[in-house]
Order: sequence, then structure tokens, then C-alpha cells
Amino acid sequence: MLMEAIGFYAIALFLIFFAFKTISSANPIHCACYLVLTMIGLAGVFYQLEAQFIAGVQMIVYAGAVMVLFVMVLMLFDIKTELRAFSRGLISGFLKIFSAAILAGFALGAATNSIGIVDEGPPKVMSTNVTRDLSILLYTKYLYAFEALGVMLLVVAVGVVCVSRIKGGTHAKH
Amino acid sequence: MPSTEVFLKIGLNHYLFLSAILFSFGMIAVLMRKNVIVMLMGIELMLNAVNLSFIAFAKELGNLNGQIMVFFVMTIAAAEAGVGLALAVSVYKKYKELNIRSFEQLRG
Amino acid sequence: MGNDVFEITVNFIKMVVIFLMMVQLVPLLVWVERRACAYMQNRFGPNRVGPLGLTQLLADAVKFITKEEFAPGNGNKFMFYAAPVIALIPATLALNAIPLSIPINVASFEWLGHTWGPYIFKFQGYDFNIGIVFVLAVSSLAAYSLLLAGYGSANKFAMYGALRASAQTISYELAMGLSLVGILLLFNTFSFSEIVTAQSGPLSFYFFGKVITVASVPNWGIIYQPVGAVLLMAAMFAETNRLPFDLPEAEGELVAGYHTEYGGIKMNMFYIGEYGHMLVASALMVIFYFGGCTIYPWLTPDTVNAWFANYGGTTASILTAFVLFAVMMAKILFFLWFFVWVRWTLPRFRYDQLMDLGWKTMLPWALGNTIVTAVVIFIMRTKW
Repeated sequence: MLMEAIGFYAIALFLIFFAFKTISSANPIHCACYLVLTMIGLAGVFYQLEAQFIAGVQMIVYAGAVMVLFVMVLMLFDIKTELRAFSRGLISGFLKIFSAAILAGFALGAATNSIGIVDEGPPKVMSTNVTRDLSILLYTKYLYAFEALGVMLLVVAVGVVCVSRIKGGTHAKH
Repeated sequence: MPSTEVFLKIGLNHYLFLSAILFSFGMIAVLMRKNVIVMLMGIELMLNAVNLSFIAFAKELGNLNGQIMVFFVMTIAAAEAGVGLALAVSVYKKYKELNIRSFEQLRG
Repeated sequence: MGNDVFEITVNFIKMVVIFLMMVQLVPLLVWVERRACAYMQNRFGPNRVGPLGLTQLLADAVKFITKEEFAPGNGNKFMFYAAPVIALIPATLALNAIPLSIPINVASFEWLGHTWGPYIFKFQGYDFNIGIVFVLAVSSLAAYSLLLAGYGSANKFAMYGALRASAQTISYELAMGLSLVGILLLFNTFSFSEIVTAQSGPLSFYFFGKVITVASVPNWGIIYQPVGAVLLMAAMFAETNRLPFDLPEAEGELVAGYHTEYGGIKMNMFYIGEYGHMLVASALMVIFYFGGCTIYPWLTPDTVNAWFANYGGTTASILTAFVLFAVMMAKILFFLWFFVWVRWTLPRFRYDQLMDLGWKTMLPWALGNTIVTAVVIFIMRTKW
């Protein structure tokens, strides 16, 4: 139990530190690199929550493809450090942070105070072969959503190619 | 002073706390940063925080539907990141400017 | 990683040993490469330093370590120094997850007054039950070392090389992952040790509902999935940036690609990372398609254990594990030789040919392989 607690607090500190550096770095490429580290840390948290397959998929999809795309776009444009990275105004900045904190507080309070309202019954355990059960659910109960996701990805891919071919885009026909 | 049990026994509340902190960081990034691509990164951070809370609930209730939802959220987030980056690239090519404050007025 | 401190310590020591093994294999591989390419090009390779030129690489390593340490002036210094280190990490993590032999069962024994209990010593740094997903996940992090190297160099050629290299890497990751799906469908598991166990028996497959067993042929994956094996091999060539896919390092085009501005030991670390990835690729090929550490019917865990039956339980187990480790290394060395052989035989692809090959040829073939495998399994395994 102690090892688990130490592991959780170590990863949580790692995550919070790098997420804070992500949003507060002036150079956008540094932000992208810190976000990659945040996602790798999140994969570690998922593994600790006994979602090993999702941890692997998170690393492959997010840290291995999406963030590579972000970093490639940033490096292609060679974006320098901006002089004023954050929006101006002390009052509006304070209000924004305050509203984000209030939202987090509401969500946490609701979750914490609602424990014990519904009678849960005996504590449930996760099955041993999570991947198999996950795939059975995905292909029987959520089959329609899965296929819809495939269609959506096709539409997104076609859309991205079209966006790059409009007049003034990167691959516009002259 | 609460007992040390609260800190040593890692339960659902700990993961939800972590998820709320990450979500608020993402929200602050979207509200306060001016660079379009950093705002997109804030959106990705928010989606990851939501994934974390789904998986925490899935473990707590022994219910695998939370993990299925994470699949879908991850896929949609990846697709949306692709589209957002394509649009950002087009905007940069035309206006040579990635500061969102200069796109606030509808013009031309 | 382990349940208690003892196991975590043992795993950590195993990780260090495997990392050192990967690093020590590089001089041997480079010697093989230089002598082999010289032989293919009808000239002598290094043959003066030491017997047969074997310590040439030692001399090269000393030269690299003692070179001047410099960094470009207006590049990003942290990324410049971090990129070679990041090149080593994915290969090490992936190699730790791959079992190089069967586990050793240490029976309980008395020593210094304590009973040291029964213990299973695995030949891997850590054993996940999602083995292959983990290896794919850390291999996809290799793109970052290229990008950070190119960006930190403050050099336009290096940046172009880095962007090309990372685009190539993420394109071929898809074909690599999909070509493995056929084997996963057949053997029903992600874990490497279970795949090796499934391949250590005779060839037995379902044929319209009945099981047919051919007694003297091993149950290797290559018999079931030849197309998948070829696709995996080709995708692995692209992932490790080896010829014929090595445009990122091409000398004629981009000076030296993403490692233009590197010299000394930092450049050598990129090469260690590349050979480490080659090692991971060969190990994956051997485990998925060529039976891992076993060759049925001569060298399976049971038959090799029978050789050492008159020693004790623990000693027999240790000797069996090492014999099978030698078998596995022999197969891996064959595939490493195959990497070297192809490098000095084929010319290099042009960049648009490379991208077309990845997206328009290998991805449809991999998808087709998956669909055909799934349909055939479904037809053959239902009861007729």
C-alpha cells in the first residue's frame, strides 16, 4: 500500500509539474515537448489503474502520433518565442483563473459529496483479461458507434486534404 | 488534522483531484494563451484529463464502459487535433500570423 | 515492474545488463558491416587493427570519446544534447520487454541459514501481458529524437532531414502495427512468452473444424503468415532508417540529414540507437515468425531439459535456459546479418517513392492480410 501511494504521488507530481510548464512556457515548442512528457506520465497512471491496453494505446496514438504532428507543424513554421505569450489585463486574467478554479472545485465537490448516495453493493473487481472483455464490448454493444467512428475518421481525412487545397492553402492548385 | 489514511490509501478521490487539476490547467491555457497551436494543446490536455477520470471510474465500479468511452474520446481528439492543425497551417500561410487576438474582428 | 523491493532490484539489474548487452553488440555489428560491405564491394575492410580488424571499433570508440565537444551557437542547447539520449531510450525499453529465453525455475535452497524460496527468473527486464503493444508504444517515441536533433541544430538541412525522417517513421508505424495483427489473431495473445510457447509444438491448425497436426514441422508463424512477415521486415527497415529507406541520412542529398551538426560521442549514440532498433526488429521477427528460442522438434524446453536430466533441478533449468538463449541469439544474428546484407545490396528509395510505398502499397497489403486472416480463421474454426 505504501509503495502504491509513493508511486501515485510521484507520477502525480510529475504530471502536475509538466502540465504547468506546458501552459506557462513562452516558447511553443517547449510547450509541445512538456505535453509529450505529460502524456507519457498519463500512460503510467492508466497502467496503475489496471487499464494496461489503454495505456499502450495512449502512448501509440497520443504521444507517438498526435504530438509528433504538433511538433512537426511547430518546427516547420519555426515559430519563435513571442514577446507577450499571455493575454493582457490583470483583472481579466485573474477572472479567468478564478473561473477555472471554481469549475474544478464544483466538479470535485459534487463527486466527493455524492459518495454513498446510491447503494453500490459489494465492491466489484476488474476481470483478469481486460483486453478480451473490452473487445467483446466494443464489437457487440458498441458496434454502431465503432463504425460511425470509422466513417468520421474518413470524413476528417478527406476534409483535411481539402482544406489544404483551397485557394491560398499549402497545396492549392494554381 | 485528517488521519493519514486519507493520504495513504489511494482511492477514487485522488484520481479525480488529479483530473480536475489537469482539466483546469488545460482550460487556463485555452483562455489565456494567444498562440493558436498552444490553445489546441490546451484542448488536448483537457481531453486527457477527462480520459483519466473515465478510467478512474471504470476501475472503481468495475465497469468496462468507461474504458470504451476512453477509446472514443481518444479517437475523436486525435481527429480534431489533425483538423485544427490543418486549419492553423492554412491560416498561417495566408496571414503569416498565429496570434489569435488579431483574428478577433470579422473582417474582409 | 515487480511486487516487492527484491523483485524491483533484480529487474533493475536486468535492465542495466540488457542495456549494456545492446551497447556491446554495436561494435561487433559495425565490424560485421564493414567487413561484409567490403567483401561485397570486392575490397578489404578494416583488417589492420587487432586480429582480423576486430579492435578497429575499439579504436574508433576511443577516437569518438576524445573528440572536442561542441554545440551550434544559436541552436537550442538542451534539445541538442537531449536528442542522442532520447535515441537510446526506446530501443532499451523495447529490448527489455522481449524474452530472450525461457524462464529459469530456481527451486528453494538453503544458504547462510535462510531458506531462499522458489523463484522464477525471467529473461526479460519486465513482463507485461500487453507485450507487443508496449513495444510498439515505445518504438513510436523514436521519432522525437530525430525531431529534436534537427531542431536543436539550427541548420536548415538538418531540419529538413529531421522532418523527412519523422514523416517516414510515423508512416511506417501503421504498416508495422497492422502486419502484426495477423499473428495476434492466430495466437490469441499479446504476451511474447505465450507466443513462443505456442510455437514450440508441432504444426497444428484447424481445417474446416478439425485439427490437423503435422508431426515434424514446427508451428512457426512464418508458415501461417508469409505476407505479414515480409511486411513486418520491410516496415522495420523503414523504422530503423536503414537502407533502402535511409534518405534521412543520405550523404548526397542532405549533407548528413538530422545528425549533420553532431560529432564525437553524441553521433555515436545515434548509431547505437539505430543498431539497438535493429536488434529489437530482429528479435520481434524471430519471436513472431520464427519460433523464438525453440526449434521443434530438436530444441524445445522439454527436449533440452532431458539432456540435463541427471543434474539437479535448478542447474538443469539454468543450463536449458542458456542453451535456448544461444539458439535465440543465433537466430537474431541471422536477421542482423540480413539487415546488413540488404543495406549493401539495394539502392536507396527517393522520398516520394518511399512515402508512396508506405501509404499506397504496404498499408493496403497489411489491411488485406488482416482481413484475409480473419476470414480464414473464422471459416476454419467453426464446426462444419
